[in-house]
Amino acid sequence: MNTEYAIRIRNLVKKFGDFTAVDNISFDVRRGEIFGFLGANGAGKTTAMRILCGLSRPTSGSGTVAGFDICREQEKIKKNIGYMSQKFSLYPDLTVRENIRLFGGIYGLKDRTIREKTEKMLEMLGIRDAGDRFAAELPLGWKQKLSFCIALIHSPQIIFLDEPTGGVDPETRRRFWESIYDTAGNGTTVFVTTHYMDEAEYCDRVSIMVDGRIDAMDSPAGLKKKFSAGNMDEVFRTVAGRAVREE
Amino acid sequence: MKEFWASVKKEFLHIFRDRRTILIVMIMPVIQIILFGFAVSTEVNNARVAVCGDMSDPQIRRAVERMDENRYIEITEMISVPGEIDGLFRRNEADAAVCFSRDFGSRIPDGRASVRIIGDGSDPNTARMITSYISGVLQDAAADMEISISGERQASMTPVVQLMYNPAMKSSYNFVPGVMGLILMLICSMMTAVSIVREKETGTLELLLVSPVRPLWVILSKLIPYLLLSAFNFTTILLLAHYVMEVPVNGSLALLSLAAALFVIASLAIGLLVSVISSSQRTAMLICGMGLTMPTMIFSGIIFPCESMPLVLQWFSDIIPAKWFIILVKKIMIQGDGFGPVMKEMGILAGMAALLLAASIKSFRTRLQ
Amino acid sequence: MWKYLLEKEFKQFFRDPGLPRMALAFPVLMMLVFPFAVSMDIRNINLAAVDNCMSEESSRLIEKCTSSGYFRLVYHGQSADEAMRLMDNNKADAIITIMPGFDRETVSGSGFPVGIKVNTVNGTKGSLGSQYILQCVRSYVGEKNAASGTTVPPAADISEKYYFNPGMDYKLFMIPALIVIAITMITAFLPALNIVSEKEAGTIEQINVTPVSKTAFIACKMIPYWAIAFFILTACLIIAWAVFGYTSRGSVLWLYLFTILDIIVMAGLGLLISNYSSNAQQAMFVIWFFAVIFMLMSGIFTPIASMPQWAQYITYLNPMRYFADAMRAVYLKGSTPAELWYDVAGLAALGSVMVGAAVASYRKTE
Repeated sequence: MNTEYAIRIRNLVKKFGDFTAVDNISFDVRRGEIFGFLGANGAGKTTAMRILCGLSRPTSGSGTVAGFDICREQEKIKKNIGYMSQKFSLYPDLTVRENIRLFGGIYGLKDRTIREKTEKMLEMLGIRDAGDRFAAELPLGWKQKLSFCIALIHSPQIIFLDEPTGGVDPETRRRFWESIYDTAGNGTTVFVTTHYMDEAEYCDRVSIMVDGRIDAMDSPAGLKKKFSAGNMDEVFRTVAGRAVREE
Repeated sequence: MKEFWASVKKEFLHIFRDRRTILIVMIMPVIQIILFGFAVSTEVNNARVAVCGDMSDPQIRRAVERMDENRYIEITEMISVPGEIDGLFRRNEADAAVCFSRDFGSRIPDGRASVRIIGDGSDPNTARMITSYISGVLQDAAADMEISISGERQASMTPVVQLMYNPAMKSSYNFVPGVMGLILMLICSMMTAVSIVREKETGTLELLLVSPVRPLWVILSKLIPYLLLSAFNFTTILLLAHYVMEVPVNGSLALLSLAAALFVIASLAIGLLVSVISSSQRTAMLICGMGLTMPTMIFSGIIFPCESMPLVLQWFSDIIPAKWFIILVKKIMIQGDGFGPVMKEMGILAGMAALLLAASIKSFRTRLQ
Repeated sequence: MWKYLLEKEFKQFFRDPGLPRMALAFPVLMMLVFPFAVSMDIRNINLAAVDNCMSEESSRLIEKCTSSGYFRLVYHGQSADEAMRLMDNNKADAIITIMPGFDRETVSGSGFPVGIKVNTVNGTKGSLGSQYILQCVRSYVGEKNAASGTTVPPAADISEKYYFNPGMDYKLFMIPALIVIAITMITAFLPALNIVSEKEAGTIEQINVTPVSKTAFIACKMIPYWAIAFFILTACLIIAWAVFGYTSRGSVLWLYLFTILDIIVMAGLGLLISNYSSNAQQAMFVIWFFAVIFMLMSGIFTPIASMPQWAQYITYLNPMRYFADAMRAVYLKGSTPAELWYDVAGLAALGSVMVGAAVASYRKTE
């Protein structure tokens, strides 16, 4: 097992009929890195991410996530990763505590560990009082925090975040990114998609997807230099401006 | 009016985008009509009969042979003691048993011979029909024995039975109207209810209602596509019934279509009412799928004749639109009645449709405010 | 892992605003109301008598019919047209026509001068009605012969007897069938909506990205339906006993055993459909389609033996056929699973196929 890389992907392709959603992408993500996966809507970010999480099978190509093959060992990958989807997908009719307990249980944690983690999480999130509220009743920002915590409940090697901060105010977003930094600081690899360019600045490295291909990949500083742009927004507009595919 | 048609068009697009559902809705009635029309029959055939008696007795042998020749009866088992019958019934290996008395043949001349027919009373109607077949055969056999003894020819004691309207006793005559009613009812009510509840859930209904289109038209525009879909189903069922099942269409087609249109409107209105009381799509579906299906099946006379129900339940069955629709279809299609004889039922159905529609639109409006 | 998944399913079920109420109300209402309605014990057949003889003999025959308790005389006169008109308007179900000279001909013997017409648009009513009239005529002839003493005594005395249900109570016959319908409907409809609603809500994705085993996930979805079905069965049995005074002749244990087997099949089918449906409405239509077919081709309402051969082969795939047969046999006749081995085998075979297919068709990775 390669200890340096958490994710290695080579020539990944995903087709839906005639439509090529992911067109021959290759990249590596180092352990403990915050890797930003950028692209316009419909560029193929979510599709690629779903393959890495073992939710979808690639049409061709190869790769490993957490040391396991993405074509054959999806269930092993799932033990070692956390996933937070774009759409809130925890059980709305269960309370916050019950959601945490369910997913803790699924990942095989002991009852006692789950209880301890629950308290710690509620504390960390600052939503201690909301523990017995139904997930459906939480405000969007809290829902996202909860999803994030649950994705981390089993201390995975890698966490995949699909547009984790869509639709919340800048302050909430900033605090969310603080949590991401903390997580990465503990050695967890973070793979995050976003279309907020200011967030891209926080990443160690970013890749920009256009029409299913990765058209640029470097550290934010490197990219700004390469495209002689003042900020990531300009970089993105230059790269994504080449898109031919419609949203 | 322009907005109204735009909104109708939108509904159509919405329905036809979900191709699988449309396909299911169109194919479902076809399979059900064929299955029920051909397969479900209330006539009892191939009754399995066990015989208990001394088969070396020529009289018994002759009686058993006669039973076996009858097309309704099949001799499946020979048992030696009547005590075995209980086990046969419990294992479901026989439907009835015939026990001949000891020394049956030799006792015939002095009239002391006896036969006992034992039916499995757990299914009373079938049992009654089977024992009635058997006793008919045995009576004929007994009459023949008398002739052989007395040498005197007796008159046949069996009157001629004439089966009216449905001489082949086809169950399709009963099930075609029934299934037509069930399917139209389900499709109209469920699809309407679900489509409205879905829009309530996603909030798009609000969007429509703040548009310049009047709420009444919004609702009507949602009903029209289902009306057309039901018309399609009605046509396929009718074509199948006539050309495949050979159910006659003796009456006027226009009258039949009118009855169907009234029934569909009533069902759409029920769907609308369900959408008002349901909090989620799931509840709406269960109310339509289970809550409407079972009473329709039981109380509309498809299987169980309403006349044999207690009076209170007969009243209850009167408020089920499907009952009137099924009566109308039977009368118009099979008995070939004209407008005169069906006026009462048609009036009731029209009244129900109007009442339900008014009630549903009213409750829908109150709900919105 | 099982514990947590089960906990979730139960909590979700009880928290739903409509489901628990519906799962409770549906069977209870069904058991309280339907037994009165599902009577095929046809008693009030409307009989029109066209009496062209108008003799003492002919009115004795008509009286014989009306006193049997099965018929209600709606017309007694001489106009065949009037009787026919009554039948056309559904006012008469059967017409008995007595020819002139009825009182003489029975004695002289040249063809039996009585004709019967039966409305058979409703099959059961028609065939039972004609059987009843025939019985009445036969017994009339029998009595007449005995009384007049003109012919030799009958060669053999034919008597009838019924086991298990001597009162020929149709309600009793339908009680286990209604239990079967209640259990099957609830446990087919609810699972069919289960997975597909998780799909629609998106929650299934969060589950799919965990290492949860497919078998555990499907099994935990199925187990709550056992609990629901047991509850329904118990409630129905209590109602049958408290309201109608019926008890099971066989061991109640066997009723529960067959219920377990049936749930495996029905919940498996529901989850299978749920897996293949892209929205809840589709799932609902498909399960409704199967439920109605299962019900009408199960032998609950009409005997399977009366179906054409090809249709009888189809019923071997119908779980309700086995379940209804078994529940009736246990409840009414006191049969044991050993005696009903074919029902056990049928349900077990279908069940393993359904559950296998449900697990296999649940894809965590597309």
